[in-house]
Amino acid sequence: MSLLTVQQLGKSYNNQNKVLQNVNFEVDAGEFISIIGPSGAGKSTLLRCINRMVDIDEGAVIFDGADVGTLNKKELRKLRTDIGMVFQHYNLVPRLSVIENVLHGRFGYKTTLQGVMGRFTEEEKERAFFLLEKLGIVEHAYKRCDQLSGGQQQRVGIARALIQEPKIVLCDEPIASLDPNASKIIMDHLKSITMELGITCIVNLHQVEVARDYSDRIIGLRQGQVVFDDVSHRLTLERTDVIYGTKTKPVPVVRELATV
Amino acid sequence: MQATTHMKRRSDGRISIKSGNEVQLIMQLTILILTVLTVLAFLFFDYTGLDIQRAIQETAYNLKVMFLEPALSHFGWGEAIYQVGITLGLAFLSTILGAVLSFFLALSAATNLTNEWITKIVRIFLAFIRAVPTVLWVLIFAIAAGLGSEAAVLGMLFHSIAYLVKAFSEAFEEVDKGIIEALRATGAGWWHIVVHAILPSTFTYLMSWTFLRFEINFAVAVAMGAAAGAGGIGFELFMASSFYFDLREVGMITYMILVLAIILEVISTLLKNRYFPASIKN
Repeated sequence: MSLLTVQQLGKSYNNQNKVLQNVNFEVDAGEFISIIGPSGAGKSTLLRCINRMVDIDEGAVIFDGADVGTLNKKELRKLRTDIGMVFQHYNLVPRLSVIENVLHGRFGYKTTLQGVMGRFTEEEKERAFFLLEKLGIVEHAYKRCDQLSGGQQQRVGIARALIQEPKIVLCDEPIASLDPNASKIIMDHLKSITMELGITCIVNLHQVEVARDYSDRIIGLRQGQVVFDDVSHRLTLERTDVIYGTKTKPVPVVRELATV
Repeated sequence: MQATTHMKRRSDGRISIKSGNEVQLIMQLTILILTVLTVLAFLFFDYTGLDIQRAIQETAYNLKVMFLEPALSHFGWGEAIYQVGITLGLAFLSTILGAVLSFFLALSAATNLTNEWITKIVRIFLAFIRAVPTVLWVLIFAIAAGLGSEAAVLGMLFHSIAYLVKAFSEAFEEVDKGIIEALRATGAGWWHIVVHAILPSTFTYLMSWTFLRFEINFAVAVAMGAAAGAGGIGFELFMASSFYFDLREVGMITYMILVLAIILEVISTLLKNRYFPASIKN
C-alpha cells in the first residue's frame, strides 16, 4: 500500500478560481519526488494540503491510512509529527540558538506543559547533536540562527524536520533563495535522507535541471492540474514546455553530433 | 509632449505642484478659521484691573523665587526621597501588573494568534478604555476603593493595560508568519508557539514598551498624588502650591521630578536605540 494517496484533490481560496483541481497521485515509501511548475500553479498549496496547513475543499488526502481531511485537532497534531516540513525562508526563530531551533521539532510529541517548560530528554538532545553533526553544522550548535548563512540555516531547518522522525519530508522550494553551491549541498542532504534513512521526500522546485538530476519521479503542475507524472528521465523538453507554457527551440542536431 | 496632458496649471498659468484635492482645501480652511478665532478670543477677555507691567514683574519674581532659590521647608531630604520613592512605587506597581496582564490579553488581540472576532472584541473594548483619561479612571475606581493609592494604582493599571496591549499585540503581529507556520507544521501546540517562537522574537520590544509606559506612569503618578490623594511627591507638590503657597518648595519639588524624568528618559532612549528596529521606532 502506498504511503500517500491524493485523490481528486481540489482547493480554492476565494470560491472562484481553483488553485488545485482534480489532482491525483500516489507516493510510495522511500520515493524522492519533485513537483515542478510555474509560479502560482499550486505547488505550495498542494504541499500544505498534505499536512493540512490549508483545509482541503474537495477530494481526499490519505496519509499512512488516515484520511487527513477528517482528522480532529488532536489527531492532526499527531499526524503532523509524522510529516516534516522545510521552507524556502527556513522559518527558524532568529533569536534562538541552533540547537533550540532543532529541538522545536519535538513539540509535537510534548504535552503543553512539557513543551512550554522546554523539557527535552537527553536522548532528544543527543539526537539533535547527531543530526547537526551529520548535516555538518554541529560547530554552530550554540550560535544564534541569524548569525548563520542561508545554506546553514536551511540545514538547521532540515535538522528540525528530521528530529520529528517523520515518515515524509515536504520541502517548499528549499533552494529558491540559495546560491548554486549551497543549493547543491542542500539537495545532496535531502537526497541522502531518502537514500540512507528511507524517508520519503516531496520537493517543490523551480529548477527543472535540479529536479531531473535528483528525483526518482517528477510531477508537473500547471494551473492546478497535474500535466506530467512520470520518472525523471521521461521529462523531455517538449513536456517541460507543456508544464511551463513556453516554447523552447529544438536543440540543433549539429551540436549534438559535434559533442559525440 | 505627453506629460502636458497630466499637467495642472494655476489660474495665472503657472504649473501647480500640489495635487489640489479637497483634503488640502479643507485643511487650509480649518487653519484659517482657527487663526481668526484665536485673534478674536483676545478681544473678548476681561482686562479690568490688569497692569501689564506689574504682571510681568510679579511673574518674573515668582519664577525667580521658584527656580533660583529652591528649598525644602515643610519636610526634610529624607522625607522628600521617601515621597519620591512612593511615587516611583505607584508607577512601578501599575506598570508591572499591567505588563503581565497585557501580555496575556495581547495574545488574544493579535490577529496572527487568535481568530478574528475575538481580536476585534478585545480591541474595541481596549480602545474604549484608552479613550477615557487616566484621571477619570482613577476617580471611577475611587468610588469603590476610596480616594488613595489603591484607586490610583487601579486606574493607572487600567490605562496601562489598554496602552500596552495595543503595543504588544502589534509587536506580536510583526513576527514572521512563516515561523508560526513552521512550528504548527511540526505538530506544536498554541502555547508552544507562544512561549518558544513569539516570546523570544518579541521580548526586547516588550521590555522597551514596558519601560516607556513606566516613564509615562511616573508622570501620571505625580498628577495622581494630587488629584486622587495617592500620596507621594505629587501630593507634596499640591500641598506646597495650594496650601502653603511656598514657591521655594514648589521649585525644589519640580527640580526633583525633572531630574527623575530625565534619568528615566535617558534609560528608555538607550533601551529603544538598542532594541527597536527602525520600523517600529517612534
